[in-house]
Amino acid sequence: MRPVTARGFRDVLPAEAAEREALGARIGDAFSAWGYGLVETPVVEQLDTLEAAVGPLEGSAFRLVDLDGRVLALRPDMTVPIARLAASRLASRPGPHRFRYRAEVFREHESLRGQSRQFTQVGVELIGASGPAADAEMVAVLVEGLRASGLTGFSVAVGTVAVLAAVVETAGMPPAWGERVFSAAHDRNLVQLDTLADEPGVSAAAASALRAVPRVRGGREAVDACRVAATGCGCDAALDELDETLSLLEAAGVADSVLVDFSLMRSFEYYTGLVAEAYSPGLGVPLGGGGRYDGVLETFGSPSPAAGFALGLERISIALLEQGVTPAARAIDAVLGGDARAALVAAQSLRSAGWRVAISPHSARALVADADRLDAAEALWAEGERIVRLDRSGEPLLPLATPLPGPPASTWRAGGERS
Amino acid sequence: MIAARGVDPDRRLRIAVPKGALFPDCVRMLAEAGLDVTGLAEPGRQLIVRTADAEFIISKPTDIPVYVAYGAADCGIGGKDVLVEAGLQVAELVDLRFGACRFVVAEPADAADAISERARHLGVIRVATKYPRIAQAHFDARGIQVELVKLNGNIELAPLIGIADVVVDITATGTTLRENRLRIVEDVLPSTARFVGNPAAVRTDPRVIELADVMSALVKRSLQAEGTAPSGAGSTTPAVTDPDGKDPVHS
Repeated sequence: MRPVTARGFRDVLPAEAAEREALGARIGDAFSAWGYGLVETPVVEQLDTLEAAVGPLEGSAFRLVDLDGRVLALRPDMTVPIARLAASRLASRPGPHRFRYRAEVFREHESLRGQSRQFTQVGVELIGASGPAADAEMVAVLVEGLRASGLTGFSVAVGTVAVLAAVVETAGMPPAWGERVFSAAHDRNLVQLDTLADEPGVSAAAASALRAVPRVRGGREAVDACRVAATGCGCDAALDELDETLSLLEAAGVADSVLVDFSLMRSFEYYTGLVAEAYSPGLGVPLGGGGRYDGVLETFGSPSPAAGFALGLERISIALLEQGVTPAARAIDAVLGGDARAALVAAQSLRSAGWRVAISPHSARALVADADRLDAAEALWAEGERIVRLDRSGEPLLPLATPLPGPPASTWRAGGERS
Repeated sequence: MIAARGVDPDRRLRIAVPKGALFPDCVRMLAEAGLDVTGLAEPGRQLIVRTADAEFIISKPTDIPVYVAYGAADCGIGGKDVLVEAGLQVAELVDLRFGACRFVVAEPADAADAISERARHLGVIRVATKYPRIAQAHFDARGIQVELVKLNGNIELAPLIGIADVVVDITATGTTLRENRLRIVEDVLPSTARFVGNPAAVRTDPRVIELADVMSALVKRSLQAEGTAPSGAGSTTPAVTDPDGKDPVHS
């Protein structure tokens, strides 16, 4: 047979893997700088655990049945597994808990949609803290993570689901109507929201808010514009909180990347307050997003406020490539040839000096070809005690000095830099 | 999949325009919205028309949601029917009110008894359609078991040649259905053209929202000129998600 990877899954070869590793490390370091500790969770969770938090996952989660007849699912995100971890393992420990992750997540997709079924998320969860300070920390960490990735010109839109929830509350309509409003808002369907506002029985304040609120966007002044648009809907407290959050973001020095957008409505099954989404110019999908999900840990019997976000590593890679600023990463510094014994000794001393070295059986031009193929910075030749550099044509140049220098920061070929 | 379209901040707005029945109205609407549409009305074989204001991508109607959802186009105009069937993430911004048609269930004029007889004995009815998602959702909501046959054109032929008992198809006037001796049994969903935006572009490119606002104002003005109430008309609720049971009129 000729084996293939399953649809929507792929292999990652060393050149790309090195870039992904470097990118993940840049972003992870930015999260660490805020005190977020790396956690890992199993790649599977019990399906009922996930569904308790986010509602039915029919058609969107990979499901497995184990020998006990239990239905498991490959994790479709990391937020619920980490909430489960916090609720089940850390309930008695004082918070807040700050966690970060870099993890593969899995989502079912129909065929022929060009969608991956496995992707990598980097993100953080802040569990056990609420209010504007915690919300602002979330958004600031998100901005810092994106800055660390090397992207420029990105923006983070923030809003709050509390406004729409308050509008629905004041509409005086049956719950089914509210569900349709949330579903239309989630689908970003302004036409449908207008239609729902026109239905008989909707209170005047709610109707006008429903038409106007999703169209309010801008800087911090948009909060007051929303206050006007949603007059009489009882969302002043939520807007005060958002305004305070934005003021803290100014203090944190990240406000220039943040916009306010009240059309931003992520899943209402899940989010209870602040929501955020990050965009890169020219990229038709968000880089990632998240928000406050205060109800999830309560579902797991351990009530606690929580907020977090996830960024798609692959999406960031695409945005970096579009901007021409992919992290220059190399998996190997040198290819080393020579007598087998001499090469082993020389490679060992190079490694001690921090080099990543592959030993090659070739010499001269063929050795340089190996270096090219492996994207190594140098082609080296072990000659007795000495290590000699080769030029492009495989001719020996000067020997490396003793003590050995550190690995080269750039290649003689491309002038690129090592991550 | 994510479309690559460059990050040049000066690049023109990319607007996907469906060829076919909606095309002339789209061109008119875009011109009324103040965009330079030179060359768009007569594009010849060109599929991308660049003007001073925008880059128009002329595409098959069913591909509009794909282009917009994946970000190859910032925005576009598409029929509600196509948007629902595609089930992709696009932001529906304005109901443009033209291109009105209905999704209907139709059956051969004299076949009602035969179909219910068949359903009684075999438990299913066979449905031919170009829109399997919409059709499935419609019958699911009614608790009717169906076998769907996806066809790519001339749906009205299906009952005549015996491949299906009923059809789910769009119709503007009902003429084609009548000519093929099909009777409309049920409305599934009304459809009109919608101005849609890529969800990220809606948030990051103010030109998309500006264009939506202009179009929305144009639609309101023409409705007032016609003396039609601007509210309610062109409801976009698919019948299948209508929890109040207020289904569209049965004919």
